Amino acid sequence: MGLRMTVLTRLEQWKERGIVSPEQYAVLAGLSRGEPFSVFLELNILLYAGILAFVAGLGWTITTWSEQLGDMLVLAVLSAILAACFWYCFSRAPAWSVAETPSPSLVFDYVLYFGSLTWSLELAYIEKRFHVLSGEWDLYLLATTGLFFFLAYRFDNRFVLSLALTALAGWLGLTISHWPSHPGAIQDPEYRQYAILYSLIVGGAGALLQRRGLKPHFFGTYLNIAANVFFWAVLSGVFQSQGYAVWLLALVAACGASLAWGLARRQFSFVAYAAVYGYVGVSSILIRDMHGDTAVLSYFLITGVAMLVMLVTIARRFGRET
Amino acid sequence: MRAYSASSEEALRARDLLKDWAGEGFLTEAQYQLMQQETVCDLRRTNIFLRMVLFLFTLVIVGAGVALFVRQSSMQTTGILLLVFSVFSYAGAELAVSQARLYRHGIEEALAVCSVGFLCVGMQLAFFEGRVYSPAPHAMQCLVPAAGAIASLWIWRRFGLAYSFLAAMIFVVFLPGHWTSSQSARHLIVAAFYAAGLAIVGSLRPRYRFTYFNNEYSIAEALLWLGIYLAINLQLSSVSLLEQWQLWRGAITEFSRPFYWTTWVLTWCLPPAALARGLLRKDRFVIAVGAVTAVLTFVTNKPYLGWPRHTWDPMLLGALLIGVALFIRRWLAKGLGGIRHGFTARRLSGKDKTWMSAGATVIGLVTPNAITPSPQSESSDVHFGGGDSGGAGASSDF
Repeated sequence: MGLRMTVLTRLEQWKERGIVSPEQYAVLAGLSRGEPFSVFLELNILLYAGILAFVAGLGWTITTWSEQLGDMLVLAVLSAILAACFWYCFSRAPAWSVAETPSPSLVFDYVLYFGSLTWSLELAYIEKRFHVLSGEWDLYLLATTGLFFFLAYRFDNRFVLSLALTALAGWLGLTISHWPSHPGAIQDPEYRQYAILYSLIVGGAGALLQRRGLKPHFFGTYLNIAANVFFWAVLSGVFQSQGYAVWLLALVAACGASLAWGLARRQFSFVAYAAVYGYVGVSSILIRDMHGDTAVLSYFLITGVAMLVMLVTIARRFGRET
Repeated sequence: MRAYSASSEEALRARDLLKDWAGEGFLTEAQYQLMQQETVCDLRRTNIFLRMVLFLFTLVIVGAGVALFVRQSSMQTTGILLLVFSVFSYAGAELAVSQARLYRHGIEEALAVCSVGFLCVGMQLAFFEGRVYSPAPHAMQCLVPAAGAIASLWIWRRFGLAYSFLAAMIFVVFLPGHWTSSQSARHLIVAAFYAAGLAIVGSLRPRYRFTYFNNEYSIAEALLWLGIYLAINLQLSSVSLLEQWQLWRGAITEFSRPFYWTTWVLTWCLPPAALARGLLRKDRFVIAVGAVTAVLTFVTNKPYLGWPRHTWDPMLLGALLIGVALFIRRWLAKGLGGIRHGFTARRLSGKDKTWMSAGATVIGLVTPNAITPSPQSESSDVHFGGGDSGGAGASSDF
């Protein structure tokens, strides 16, 4: 124990050799001992959980008590919250920049997020009670998408960007909540087309905005969402009993592109997507006509080893962290 | 006992810290490069995504390989073969570490996990003829979860995999079912095991305070605090979850009044105790568990007391959480340099930013679904449900 080189002893040696200054040593030694101890992450989680619980309670209360409370009171409360949130954000936001802008305060992002969720609640309430757009939910989603994109880019907020991307998916008829409630939905060719169209729009828009230098740090969010939706859609085509060849080709092409992108940019989530989605898709076709346990199990054994060898090679060449 | 040398693991810790400090601007690039050269070690790591995929494919290979061997054997033979494969899997994990020098690489982790899984299933099939878990006491059958818990603890100690400590704790949950049919006794036994574990971990921790072991013990201690809390909170452990899984067929009415109300008192005592311990030791994981258990106490308090829930309860909880966060931030900000008693609300680690970015993307996507009680429907007569369909409510109805 005593002879082992801990971080503190290393720091001491680096200070003695002049690699770090005494001031740097004091800061770094403190940090390695947890002094000061940052509760930044914990406070963010508390704020997020608080906003979520509050909005859930607000929605639940309005659902249950809207008749008793009356439209005026409900709308007044929701509008007041909305106005307060947006006033806070617009009055305290730093000047807009195309580059990444740090949040002016710890609570800023969460106030904006709270406002965005309240906007959604209010819109839903208005349509249900007054039928302003006669049930044309697509228009609400489109308006919400536009507003959320504007807010995300104005205030550099990933929470709201994700809301905007999900609202866009809803507008295109692709909602995550549809998937579990209608298990066959993804098999529906129409949904598949929507999903592919959505992923192309999101991926293309993300790439275009990055190329233009407009909040380029958002690109990762766009690309990850687009890639996953695209892979799910193509995979659903591969799972079809007929006419799956074109989808298989699309899957192979997408896996190749994802792998190349992941290796070139050192974004290994894309390597993982290529490996997992590709393996599932190709395996589903190859084992379709196999008969007997031995053939299927042998297939998984042999292909598993092949995949492992390939991934280890990739990990050694590209993904090594030491 | 440890599969890796202390110097190697300490070097890895130093490398991680250096990367973090350089990312936050505490070190110049030249300093970082120079210092990094002095923390080289022979262990091979990979990034988290490749680690997960390697873990997955190793499971596929081992699962398929073992299934090929055992698929036509009798139950007892299958059990014996699985015990043999358990040994092979463990030997494979050891080899992967000693020969290939893999460290958190997915492959050796999957092999170690398989060894525990094969051991338990193998014992069950070989010695107990595959009898499924039964709530009726069978003293000898407790050997299976006991072996699972011991093997998992060994894997945790040997390879430092935090989730194997969690696995050991889960195995412990199955132990008292073989000894007693009393629900209260089962809760007490599980809590006693975890409390004993907490005492042991607590006594061992001080000597590893500023070493690479600290994180491991921190996670273990946090899990034990959480385990004790879940064991004593009858609203969480007796009815809602475990009964759904048919693991724990107790009902609140089965508990004696003194026992029931003692656990209620404990649900209020444990969170502050965990929070105080975490804050005193500046232990992130224990603080997190203290906060989570405090929220769980608020959430389960009304059912405990038999009071009705109100629709505005989540709002009050949300307001409380927001208020606490704002109060702490303001209080810390008023300290000299934004620091009070060694705590700050400022971000000091690049990891926090990475977590926040990844979390914001995922959370933003799931939130509209998570906060809504009912899914969207295109018909106009559905009930108001808040924001599904990504509009976070824009597509919902009343």
